Amino acid sequence: MKSFAAFLKKEFLDIARTGRLFIAVLVFVLSGMMSSAIAKLTPWMMEMFAETMEDSGFIFTNIQVDAMTSWTQFFKNLPIVLIAFVLMFSDIFTKEYKSGTLLLVLSKGLSRYKVVLAKAAVLLLMWTFGYGLCFGITYGYNAYFWDNSIVCSLFSAVTVWWLFGVWVIGLMVLFSSLVQGNTGVSLCTGGTVLLAYLLCIMPKSKVYSPAMLMDTASLLNEAVGIGAYRKAVIVAVVFLAGCIAASIPVMNRKQL
Amino acid sequence: MDALRIKNLKKSFGSRKVLCGLDLSVPEHSIFGFIGKNGAGKTTTMKAVLGLLKPDNGEIYVMGERVRFGQTGTNRHIGYLPDVPEFYPYMTPVEYLTFCGAVSGMSRSDSEMRSRELLELVGLGGECHRIKGFSRGMKQRLGIAQALLNRPGLLVCDEPTSALDPAGRKEILDILLAVREQTTVLFSTHILSDVERICTEAAFLNDGKIALQGAVAEIRNKRSKDEFVVETEKKEDAEMLVKAFNDLRRIEQNRLVLQGGEMRFFSVMQYIAENKISVQKMERMEPTLESLFLEVIK
Repeated sequence: MKSFAAFLKKEFLDIARTGRLFIAVLVFVLSGMMSSAIAKLTPWMMEMFAETMEDSGFIFTNIQVDAMTSWTQFFKNLPIVLIAFVLMFSDIFTKEYKSGTLLLVLSKGLSRYKVVLAKAAVLLLMWTFGYGLCFGITYGYNAYFWDNSIVCSLFSAVTVWWLFGVWVIGLMVLFSSLVQGNTGVSLCTGGTVLLAYLLCIMPKSKVYSPAMLMDTASLLNEAVGIGAYRKAVIVAVVFLAGCIAASIPVMNRKQL
Repeated sequence: MDALRIKNLKKSFGSRKVLCGLDLSVPEHSIFGFIGKNGAGKTTTMKAVLGLLKPDNGEIYVMGERVRFGQTGTNRHIGYLPDVPEFYPYMTPVEYLTFCGAVSGMSRSDSEMRSRELLELVGLGGECHRIKGFSRGMKQRLGIAQALLNRPGLLVCDEPTSALDPAGRKEILDILLAVREQTTVLFSTHILSDVERICTEAAFLNDGKIALQGAVAEIRNKRSKDEFVVETEKKEDAEMLVKAFNDLRRIEQNRLVLQGGEMRFFSVMQYIAENKISVQKMERMEPTLESLFLEVIK
């Protein structure tokens, strides 16, 4: 436990001193601010473009924005934030393979499963902290400008999207233990997400696809209840546990 | 008890056989020179000892405990210094050693005390900058400090001096000599003067097997034949001698080497006297590890 805690502490020191913590916080904060800012600026922007659009036959009248507009924008921003997160942390394992820094730590007797768990924990905590920050900022601005209570199932929608991010982290951990380079980690993670997304196209398989967790629009406007996500949540959780569990023997067999 | 014992170790990378039944035993409190040319399999052997590489066959015991691939339990007995040690560049030496201490299960006070003691030993006592700006020699010295941190029974050093300048090499060798009392040192190299300087035992790795092993003094004496050097004044005389004695090897224009024992050398001397060949120098060479190494890998 002591060696796990020491390695976990080292991971936090790593992201703090290499500037990744700062960049990640900046991305999450900006994204949180942008959701409300874009919603707030929408009427002004529409007025700006009204004349040009009128020539094309579009007429804007009485543009109304509220908390729902801002939350819709929030969920539209999240895929970009998640892509930035994956790219930023895709080398969390692989840079240690490349540089050989892990070799010395393992030669001190640290078990490999602790390396996998510590790195997975850092990713999970960073995602949860950043996501929470992003949500908190949007929630604060929305409460100031509009009324958050008009949005139904907000916390359910936020939770399922957070779970989607956690599922992606599981993929990152698995592919990081399988491949040697961070490009491979990013491509394999992206490829699996794309596959899950393609499953969403077919109505029968959609309910089982973790990519369904990204589709929060129908939850926000009460088209469906949280129960519609049950199967996708179970698949994501089982898949996540499977990814972490599989990473340990893969890491144990890895020749460094 | 042997600090390290390897039995019939085999390892191939694809169709290339690197280790073909390597047997090795390293006695406790020795400085053991593990000699082999580049690509002979020294690093492969060391990584197998650390459980970082899966051998195809064979057994490895560290302090009597069997090494298992992927499980690093036996590494608590080992301190490892790779040829080019890599550290977390954003840490200071004290931070890195304290982290290593915590990873290997040492108490905070012990690891802090030991870190300062070892940094003094390797000459990095006053260094409080981050590792990012360290030279190769400084990294090598920090590497020794981290390897010795948890008082290992076996210190495994993979070519610790090969990337260093003469001053850096001397510093590292002096440190390894100084730690002999505390631990057993297994030291791979292809720089034979380093082995002659500090090692008590040595083994030659060739064609994936140990070709020769024993105390350094014994190995020198095992040399099958004495070596004599004859230097003639004229190039033509050297050519004449080579024609007359087929075991005379020409190493320079008028410099010849004979590896045939004393009786053979007397014959050469007799031929020189009979043919009135002017000689600049005749010398009986002390057997060196270098000549022995070249003989082994021939």
